[in-house]
Amino acid sequence: MAHSVLILDDDADFNSLLTDIFKQADYVVRSLHDPFEAIEVFTNSDYDLVVTDHKMPGMVGSEFVAQIKQIKPQIPVIMVSGFLENDTVRELINNGVGGVFLKPLNIFSLLERTTELIDEAKRLKQNHELEDKHLSDGPAPGAEQDVNLGFSLRSFPGQSPQSVSFVKRLYRLRNFRSTLSLIGPPGTAFGLICDDIRSFYDREKEYFVYLSSSSFDTSKVLAQCEIAKQSGFERITCVLLDIEFMSDAQKCLAVSLAKCVDAFELIDQPLRTIFCVSNDLDTLFDEARINEDLYILMRTAEVKVPALRDCVANISILAQQIVRDIATQKKLTTVPRLAPAAEDFLAEQAWNHNYEQLHATLRYAMHQFSGDVISLDVLVTALQANMKVCSRDQLELMLAGVRLEYVQAISILSGDDSSAVAAFFGTDTTVIEAIVQ
Amino acid sequence: MQQHRALILRSNRFLGSSLVNEGLISSADLNAANDTFMAAIQSHESLKTASILSILIDELKVLDEAKLLDHLFEQHSLGLIDLNYMELSSLPIPDLDPSLCRACLSIPFDKVEQTYMVASCYYMSTPVVKHWETLLDGNIIWYATSIASMHQSLQRLENILTAKEVEQE
Repeated sequence: MAHSVLILDDDADFNSLLTDIFKQADYVVRSLHDPFEAIEVFTNSDYDLVVTDHKMPGMVGSEFVAQIKQIKPQIPVIMVSGFLENDTVRELINNGVGGVFLKPLNIFSLLERTTELIDEAKRLKQNHELEDKHLSDGPAPGAEQDVNLGFSLRSFPGQSPQSVSFVKRLYRLRNFRSTLSLIGPPGTAFGLICDDIRSFYDREKEYFVYLSSSSFDTSKVLAQCEIAKQSGFERITCVLLDIEFMSDAQKCLAVSLAKCVDAFELIDQPLRTIFCVSNDLDTLFDEARINEDLYILMRTAEVKVPALRDCVANISILAQQIVRDIATQKKLTTVPRLAPAAEDFLAEQAWNHNYEQLHATLRYAMHQFSGDVISLDVLVTALQANMKVCSRDQLELMLAGVRLEYVQAISILSGDDSSAVAAFFGTDTTVIEAIVQ
Repeated sequence: MQQHRALILRSNRFLGSSLVNEGLISSADLNAANDTFMAAIQSHESLKTASILSILIDELKVLDEAKLLDHLFEQHSLGLIDLNYMELSSLPIPDLDPSLCRACLSIPFDKVEQTYMVASCYYMSTPVVKHWETLLDGNIIWYATSIASMHQSLQRLENILTAKEVEQE
């Protein structure tokens, strides 16, 4: 089908010339001389492209462009003029003009740019339609509708701008080929987000391996890859959690894994890596918590995960999800619901430790109290208790990390002899093995 | 060049992801370029010329420089300049470090009152822009230039500065 072009130029001769040029190139052309009439025609009809002059009586081209861009911003515009200042050209381009041509015209360039702009607009339209198809139906955590969409929004169920933008970016990057970095504040539900990423694909074909500082080593990865191969999975995605807390050796191993070199060279299936970190990459690099290789590698495709407090609409939905999950784990006959005041209270908190803090608070609340309704008082008590628990948990986590590094260091020094390591620490081998495991 | 190692890493990292984000290259292209870039930066000899941009344009041929310059003009409203036509013997910064210019492929080539004109191949890399803005008190008009023009001018600049040093001795 021929594309349609609206031409606006008050100069009858030049208008006629432009009309001939576009007609010769098989475009359907509507020529107008008055900008006000052109706006009316543009509003009521569909055109693929608009060509306009700049200097016209009653309204200059830039004003005309501004008005039609407000009506249908997706329609490309080309400006043709006798003379334009550089600043005007820049302003026009900034305001969405796709091409500026000065007289005398280079007809071939004009037609070439016309084709490019129309193709680009069509591509954008198709992309938007695809996105709308996937995302316009709004949140439905865990609902069947999500399954129909092909992916779940369980980790970010709300419709706040940050939440939607995050989900869109994650979805756009779903076909990353080698590495993806998730950068979120402390306490981000990386596991839940990666489960969401996994749901973008066919679960029968995609194998996800979750690795942290306590579980990431060559043998573990190779063993998991073998399981994936035996089970017929077509692709493996390794999720490296809290990579900034890993040992230097593990960080080097992470680079080898992401590049599929050294020990991982012989892995048959396509392998991808998701890096999860709780701090900005530049800060981590400055503090020497990630090396140069990781710093470059992790930047290839990165997604910033919004903080829970920036997605207030998510809090209540996530809280209900957590309550439902805990109720299922505890095999409760009914799922408790949150009192409205309790929901409001949750939405008002800062959640400095994000999802993990929300989860821990609700777990504490459901552990300490029973009943069908979780009241405001119960939540206040749980949050206060959890704040104390949080700091203790963090300390224990840090100490466990240090203990592991210490044991690993002694293990290397003693030539991986577990009896020698056990003797060094004055304990038996089962304790050492449990720590390393 | 070692003193600018962090800047080189950072500026190339940001440039790479900006090129991906603005649809000029794919993540796969960047991955491939990163591998070559990391090999270059780890070698003392090639650190001086380590550039993601050169790798993408010249080695991998996945980025069309003309398209990039068009993009800088159309999307970032940058002026385009060929440094070969610029006089570099009287630069606006008296103690300009040529290795810094090479590290981020940028040259401040003129100054009008308190405003500096800086030509760069790395305008899309935030650390480069910030670095020069801090160095020159923020009054900068940016220009885009081609890699060939930049390299020729850097060589010319280094020759001028060496000649000046010899003269002073």
